[in-house]
Amino acid sequence: MTTILQYTLSGLAIGGVYALVALGFHIMWSTAKAVNFAHGDTLMIGAVLAVMGVDAGMPVWLACGLSILAGGAFGVALERIAVRPFTAEANSIGWMLSTIAIGIMAESLATMQFGGFSRALHSPGVDRPLNVFGAGVYAQELLIPAVAVALTLGLGLMQKRTLIGRAMRAVAHDKRAAALMGVNVGRIVAISFGLSALLGAGAGVLVAPVIQASATMGVLLGLKGFAVAIIGGITSAPGVLVAGLLFGVLEKFVEGYISTAAREIVAFSVMIAVLLVFPQGLFGKRETVKV
Amino acid sequence: MRRTTVSRAYGLGLAAAVALTPAMALAQKAPCIGNSVATTGPAAFGGAAIKMGAETAIEEINAKGGVLGQPLKLIQYDDAGAPPRGIDNTRRIALADKCVAILGGYHSTVSVAQAEPVNTIGIPFVGVLAANTKAIENGRSPNFMFRVSAKDKWVARFLVEKAAAQSKTGKIAFFYENTGWGNGALPDVQAAMKAAGKELVATETFNWNDQDMTPQAIRARDAGADVVLFWALDREGNQIVRSMDKVGYKPTIIGAWGIAGNLGELAGPLANGVQVVQTYTFMGDMDPKKKALWDKISAKYGLKDPSEVKMASGVGNAYDAVYIIAQAIEKAGAYDWAKVREALYQVKLDGLVATYDPAFDASDPERQDAILPKYYKLTAWQDGKLLPIEQTPYGKTN
Amino acid sequence: MSRLHALGFLALAALLVAVPLTADNEYELRLFMLFLIYGLIAVGLNVLVGLTGLVSLGQAGVFALGSYAGAILAVRLGADLITASLGAAAIAAIFGVALAYPTVRVRGVYLAVVTIAFGIIVENVAIEWSALTGGTTGLSGIPTPNVFGYELSGYGFYGVLAATLLLATLAAHNLKDSRYGRAMLAVSQSEIAARSLGIDATAMRILAFVAAAVTAGVAGAFYSFLNAYISPDIFTFSDSVRFLLMVILGGAATTFGPVLGAFVLTYLPEYLQDFQLWQKFAYGALLLTVMFVLPRGVLGTAGFVLKRLRPPARGLSAADMEMARVGLPAAARGATAELVTQGLTVRFGGLTALSAANLRVKGGEIHALIGPNGAGKSTFVNAISGVYQPSEGAFGIDGEDLTGKRQHQIARLGLSRTFQNTELFGDLTVLENVLVGGQSRLSYGLADALLRTPRRRREERDLRAAAVGLLAFVDLTDHAKEAARHLPFGLQRRLEIARALAARPRLLLLDEPAAGLTTQEIGSLADMIRKVAAAGVSVLLIEHHVDLIMAVADTVTVLDYGQVIASDRPGVVQNDPRVIEAYFGSPVAHGDFAEVPA
Repeated sequence: MTTILQYTLSGLAIGGVYALVALGFHIMWSTAKAVNFAHGDTLMIGAVLAVMGVDAGMPVWLACGLSILAGGAFGVALERIAVRPFTAEANSIGWMLSTIAIGIMAESLATMQFGGFSRALHSPGVDRPLNVFGAGVYAQELLIPAVAVALTLGLGLMQKRTLIGRAMRAVAHDKRAAALMGVNVGRIVAISFGLSALLGAGAGVLVAPVIQASATMGVLLGLKGFAVAIIGGITSAPGVLVAGLLFGVLEKFVEGYISTAAREIVAFSVMIAVLLVFPQGLFGKRETVKV
Repeated sequence: MRRTTVSRAYGLGLAAAVALTPAMALAQKAPCIGNSVATTGPAAFGGAAIKMGAETAIEEINAKGGVLGQPLKLIQYDDAGAPPRGIDNTRRIALADKCVAILGGYHSTVSVAQAEPVNTIGIPFVGVLAANTKAIENGRSPNFMFRVSAKDKWVARFLVEKAAAQSKTGKIAFFYENTGWGNGALPDVQAAMKAAGKELVATETFNWNDQDMTPQAIRARDAGADVVLFWALDREGNQIVRSMDKVGYKPTIIGAWGIAGNLGELAGPLANGVQVVQTYTFMGDMDPKKKALWDKISAKYGLKDPSEVKMASGVGNAYDAVYIIAQAIEKAGAYDWAKVREALYQVKLDGLVATYDPAFDASDPERQDAILPKYYKLTAWQDGKLLPIEQTPYGKTN
Repeated sequence: MSRLHALGFLALAALLVAVPLTADNEYELRLFMLFLIYGLIAVGLNVLVGLTGLVSLGQAGVFALGSYAGAILAVRLGADLITASLGAAAIAAIFGVALAYPTVRVRGVYLAVVTIAFGIIVENVAIEWSALTGGTTGLSGIPTPNVFGYELSGYGFYGVLAATLLLATLAAHNLKDSRYGRAMLAVSQSEIAARSLGIDATAMRILAFVAAAVTAGVAGAFYSFLNAYISPDIFTFSDSVRFLLMVILGGAATTFGPVLGAFVLTYLPEYLQDFQLWQKFAYGALLLTVMFVLPRGVLGTAGFVLKRLRPPARGLSAADMEMARVGLPAAARGATAELVTQGLTVRFGGLTALSAANLRVKGGEIHALIGPNGAGKSTFVNAISGVYQPSEGAFGIDGEDLTGKRQHQIARLGLSRTFQNTELFGDLTVLENVLVGGQSRLSYGLADALLRTPRRRREERDLRAAAVGLLAFVDLTDHAKEAARHLPFGLQRRLEIARALAARPRLLLLDEPAAGLTTQEIGSLADMIRKVAAAGVSVLLIEHHVDLIMAVADTVTVLDYGQVIASDRPGVVQNDPRVIEAYFGSPVAHGDFAEVPA
């Protein structure tokens, strides 16, 4: 029983990271019908810059804040440079490869500046584990899924209540119509990339104390976050959140009861299977053909 | 100009008939040592250490007049930890640069992959970090793969011996990474345990970048192991000790040298007392010889503190390996692969890491390795520093 | 084959012969052999990416499958080079089909993610299944390649690789030029139009996936022999990206582009090593630069520039016109071409868009289907052309039941259609559009296509003659070699009719052909429709334009709220009070039906 609880708690922590990354994919996809394929590197940038900030003598809160802002700026710049020029094209090869290229460059720069090592970002959240009915977990780990849930709710509120949020929904629904209604589509897309990058960098800062910051930390988290977004239905924020948390828990149980190496095989097979049965993801909206 | 025309014509004539065998490459080799090592990627620190050791040794040798009257050169290629690039670099060093020997790098998978072209081409290879047993003990004869580094088979015996001495219950667990290095060590550790008359109570594996190892920690805990052997790198080693902490499990940890980098920084106080095998370290008290080398290296590479060298064993091993190769060339009297290979078995050297007497032994396939287990050193993490175990509180319990 | 392509193949062959003779050392030759292997992968991947426009980011996984299959066959069963590569090809082909299956349901970025997942699964299975694959330690001791018991020397193996790449490039070129290549291009540009012309889009995608998989599989087997060692970390996501980049960099859908791309990206790492720590950064920067400066790739851009500098003739040459079979081919199969629907009903959820519609289009007649917006006309058209499956009822042509058949099957049985919003294959030329229309009637197979057999040449020549004839019929011969999307709108409509006629239908379904046309254009459209009917092809005309209907229709059927409310001669229907009510909401003494927004 304790074991099951332990797996669930550990799974929720990892799943929270997937959900935060996937939420970023959701925001980008909704407005631009394109994503930053290297979104995992946004997370890396947040974590790595935070550690470098602390190295440079900043207080932790300032280093984290600045690195999240830098992540957001990165997202906006990336959209302008690597996504916008290619979204007009019919197929997606253009922005896929250009964002992958920027990811490679970011990772390589980070390796040079930061070194190949993993580095710790200190947080009081990982000083000692909490005991939850016999299972051990860091406070920081509980914080991650909580933040993911809060941000999903916040995003929903923002999209309903604020002008920018409503504009984002309008653009997601129909770009041309939104433009005709006077929405500056380009700016909304840029904002959504910035917002998703803020989330990504924030996730990096949150997770760095738990999994350590390194130049290569983003790649797999990014790919899995994307897989989660697709499973949940990339058009639905709550769907993405649920899928992320479930995916994390599933992974832990596969690790616990089958083997670590089977984890990737099972997780990605599940993703393909879900897509075959629900082409729009579990909670995504179906798009109909019209001739 | 004329010579190339002739050789082209020669090539034309033979093209259809002659196999591209190493027999073609009888020509005099160049006075250079090639080094294929990861200078980029997550393990670049290992490549950096090797480079420091090799460059320093070559500088010293050249200052004394080089080998066979010619200065020795180091040709450096990056394999980024990828086996195919290691293979390409091996061929490039042997066939395009025509160097006299190759130094190996940090990654076991790369060394295992290099064994094939090295033996097919027939160029001496001296590994200086990667410890995988099978890379060097590959059953080939003549074998061109040599090593001046730790060997997992011996490391396993060394660590099992230490573990058995420290275990109160006699129950020992094994955590290894799911890579060529970790998987290669599994049979070595099992054999060493068997030889010690024991069996592992838990055998746990994990992947690079895994963030949480509580399932593995729970299984080892429930199996009752009080000593755990690690074949892990710092990043995952940190996750394991943290996961153990979460599930309230505090065994004695003894590891191969993957956790000799920055585990102390990552895991903080949790790393205290974790023991690591090494062949060389700048940490702790330095004898005059070590001090001299440290002064030279710190000046050359702008280092302030010995802890900045993340894999000091790489420095020591590479330094000794270059001296061994240089002496073998002198003994062979030529820059010739087969002759240098023969001469490697004659080298005697009082090195940094060990006293090589002789460096290798042609009569024993296990002795393609130069550093004997008696030169392995146990170190322990103490407040972020990896010190010789005698200089820490943990040495006293032994 | 064009002269330029023939020259290209000669140059490639000369290069392949020259390199081993001039290589300075074995290392240089081996590097070149590595390029030959990558070239093979890229040539196959180009069929998928260049022709069908699908993105695979899991090609390293297929490459790994081939490598492991070849290596395991060679190490464990002592297979020779040929058996090992055939085995690798077979296994890769099976997975090619499996990978193509998801494309039935998912496309675009979803498909890309599926292929990424596939690559990661393969990599991890290779790690996990260590009894077979050697796990993370990898498989070593792969023997030197031999063929029928003869050990191949370095040059012998080189010869095998060079010949394979040359033949694969030639085969891919032939495929691109054939009905299969045209069909793939058509599917990538408008799947619905391709299906409406009898092309089985799913089959084409499977074919493309299999072509890409087989080449990658064979390349994998070769690679394992060349390297004599393989391990899971040889086959990573970044390798998949590199393979895709080879195609894009060289020029997707060009014949030699992938070979060129593979060449550049094989040798590039050698030079990037000089950048030391910056090499990965330089690689990323290069990738980005390519996407910006050469989105069509080197050869694609070169072709584009060449066309700008020396624009080819837009129309057809005299020789082309000479061989044309001018005029309209007689209706196929000499059938009566009668379409009958019985109680055809289509429901979307709770909404009944079409309710028990009975309609009969008599052989050779021009039958107009009209109705206010939202009356169910489009639903009717989509139902009988197979885009929607009817919820109830049946329909058939000349007594042949078509209910439940898929779009391309219906098209092949003699029902061709045009689209309300034209669905041309924009990047194909006008002539090629018509060729695609006619090719469901070709009978040559894949082997004929790859080998350019006399049969293929004969059939293609006949098809071309018929296509030129149709272009003459719709008066588009002067634009034959232009890209379809550059045509003015009115001409696009005509091209769509020619394309639909190329399939030699029994029934031609025109979905609002007059929308957006000028009065003059409508006049010639009416002429055209009459001629088509005179040739024995029944025409079902969905139209708002009253003048056109009055001018050409033999029978008019009126739909309202998904139901047929009248069906008779135009003059009668025009005065039917129910029709008038449907259009104007209240009985009007006299008037005609014009379009009224719903």
